[in-house]
Amino acid sequence: MIRFEDVAKIYGTGATGFEALGGVSFQVRAGEFVAVVGPSGCGKSTLLNILGLLDQPSRGLYALGGREVGTLGDGERSQLRRVKIGFVFQSFNLLPRFSALENVALPMSYAGMGMEERRARAAGLLDRVGLKSKSLQTPLELSGGERQRVSIARALANSPDVILADEPTGNLDSRSSAEILGLIRELHAQGKTVFLVTHDPGIASSAERVLSIKDGRIIEDRRR
Amino acid sequence: MRLWELIRTGLFEIYAHKTRSFLSFLSISIGVAAMLYTFSQVNGMFVQFNKALDLVGHGRLEIERKEDYRSRGLSPGLTYQDALALRRLMPELHMVSPVAQQWSQRFRYGGFSSEEPVLYGVTPEWAKRDWVYTLRGRFINDDDVLFAKRVCVMRMPGGWDEKPWWAVFWEDSKYDDFAAHNDLLDRQITLGDNLFTVVGVIKEPPRDKDPRWFSREWGSPIYIPISTYQKIMRLSNRGGKPDEVREINIDVGRGELVPAYQRRIKAVLLERHRGEEDFKIIDFRDRFQNILKNQRETARQVMAVGIVAILAGGIGIMNVTLATIYSRIKEIGIRRAIGARRRDILLQFLLEAMTLGFFGGIAGIALGYGGIWYLGRRSAETLAALELWHFAATLAIAVGTGFIFSVIPAYQASRLDPVEALRYE
Ligand SMILES: Nc1ncnc2c1ncn2[C@@H]1O[C@H](COP(=O)(O)OP(=O)(O)O)[C@@H](O)[C@H]1O
Ligand SMILES: [Mg+2]
Repeated sequence: MIRFEDVAKIYGTGATGFEALGGVSFQVRAGEFVAVVGPSGCGKSTLLNILGLLDQPSRGLYALGGREVGTLGDGERSQLRRVKIGFVFQSFNLLPRFSALENVALPMSYAGMGMEERRARAAGLLDRVGLKSKSLQTPLELSGGERQRVSIARALANSPDVILADEPTGNLDSRSSAEILGLIRELHAQGKTVFLVTHDPGIASSAERVLSIKDGRIIEDRRR
Repeated sequence: MRLWELIRTGLFEIYAHKTRSFLSFLSISIGVAAMLYTFSQVNGMFVQFNKALDLVGHGRLEIERKEDYRSRGLSPGLTYQDALALRRLMPELHMVSPVAQQWSQRFRYGGFSSEEPVLYGVTPEWAKRDWVYTLRGRFINDDDVLFAKRVCVMRMPGGWDEKPWWAVFWEDSKYDDFAAHNDLLDRQITLGDNLFTVVGVIKEPPRDKDPRWFSREWGSPIYIPISTYQKIMRLSNRGGKPDEVREINIDVGRGELVPAYQRRIKAVLLERHRGEEDFKIIDFRDRFQNILKNQRETARQVMAVGIVAILAGGIGIMNVTLATIYSRIKEIGIRRAIGARRRDILLQFLLEAMTLGFFGGIAGIALGYGGIWYLGRRSAETLAALELWHFAATLAIAVGTGFIFSVIPAYQASRLDPVEALRYE
């Protein structure tokens, strides 16, 4: 479903250019759960941004669902991102002045969904992550764990195939982390393809597949 | 993304940055108010023009002496006889009204005395001219002229219906004050050395309701039969030309007839003046246009102020848009990550600015309309000559300003790299 062939990302140009990702190749089947591990600054976020079509590879081929997407224009990439990809960030990245419900509904409005449908759907998603009672609160009024649950609900807004979680538990205490990981595992159980960037060796060891990265290269691709 | 939601986000942002928004809002509204004022002025001018034409008639001509004319000694000048000749040759004319006015005579009544009143020699036809007065008694009649009777009609100032703020220093003269507080109808007054009977008193409309913005005779006139006027002048032996008149007012009826009559009158007068063209025949419509020229100039200046204010407002909007964009780079990244296209971002910021312009426009219309209403309330010149499309146009200008001045910042926002925007703190 996802295929990377010699994908590289170089920041800057020429001699001063920095190779954040240096020729990465791998394939991931639909529904796989992939843990991405590696030291800080090794290129994990860069990899996820390319996977999520936020960033374009400097070189190489990226095929999503059998289609070359690395070289698409901004409009098409945005559209694909909207319907196929759900991002979960370490720092939540919720809009602070919007309620939880509005945050979850926002991707749907970019997809052109009607107001009523959006409300119903967003409420359903918040219920699913256990935040039914707090749907009208703003992110500032929620705890870290709750915020991350809102952002998971938001990632699911347009029923994407792929969930990209970049250190989603990095800012959370252990109890909230466990809850969030539980939710992400649930999504995997429902058939979503999941990329999870993590530092936690425990989580990594339980994943069905682990990509170890160092200095922008895959040093180990382990399947269980 | 639906329009309404974009506007709602815009309102959100406007509210979140109150001071900033308020400033651009303010200048936009001042600009819009000035625009609106200009519109009302320009339109008001047309209204005034037509009103004045209706009052004086569309076929009005005025014959005047040419001020800078060097006589060759052939012409007797513009005289009462000229008026009589025109009347005789063109009996169909609605009005031929000669007015003589060369010198003043001291007014005396009881113990009161004044040099102020100005003496006019007229015929009954004077009453056909812009009649806006209320009359007590009667006006000068044919008998008065025929027998050169010592009768007069006094004209009283109308005062103010509602005194405007700018007229606080406008003091009624001593004579006006006297005339206003002494009923002189049927009394005998002295003008110079001559006793006159006041047979009529005409009262002007209140100054602020007076539609005759085009020709106001200042001073406080007293009207006497033109024949009496000439007789006294001859007797007084003070020089001057007793036969001469200041002007002859003519009403030919319809506007289409004006050019033809202009030619005929000119021919008649040239012959009577032995070829000397020491007079001019003025079409009142030209005179109005001339007076309106000044107003048009004022309107143009107000318009310039309005444009400057709108520009300032536009720059304010640009500033607001730029500032919101800088404070919301992260938000742009987030929106992009959840699927917003570049044009969604572009549209969002454009609409926010246009919303700002829109509400600035609404406030400006309220401000402008209030001001124009306030001014218009206190003058006869209906300033509030505003039509619906004026509001629509000013609003469009305000929204358009928001649009134009936010295009560049909004475009920049839409070109931000999503990854960098997300990383931005
Ligand atoms: N825009 C950029 N310009 C230059 N270098 C960058 C840029 N973005 C990331 N990098 C560098 O690329 C490397 C990989 O970054 P990243 O993918 O964020 O690492 P991590 O594995 O910690 O997520 C880092 O060394 C970072 O400094
Ligand atoms: Mg990272």
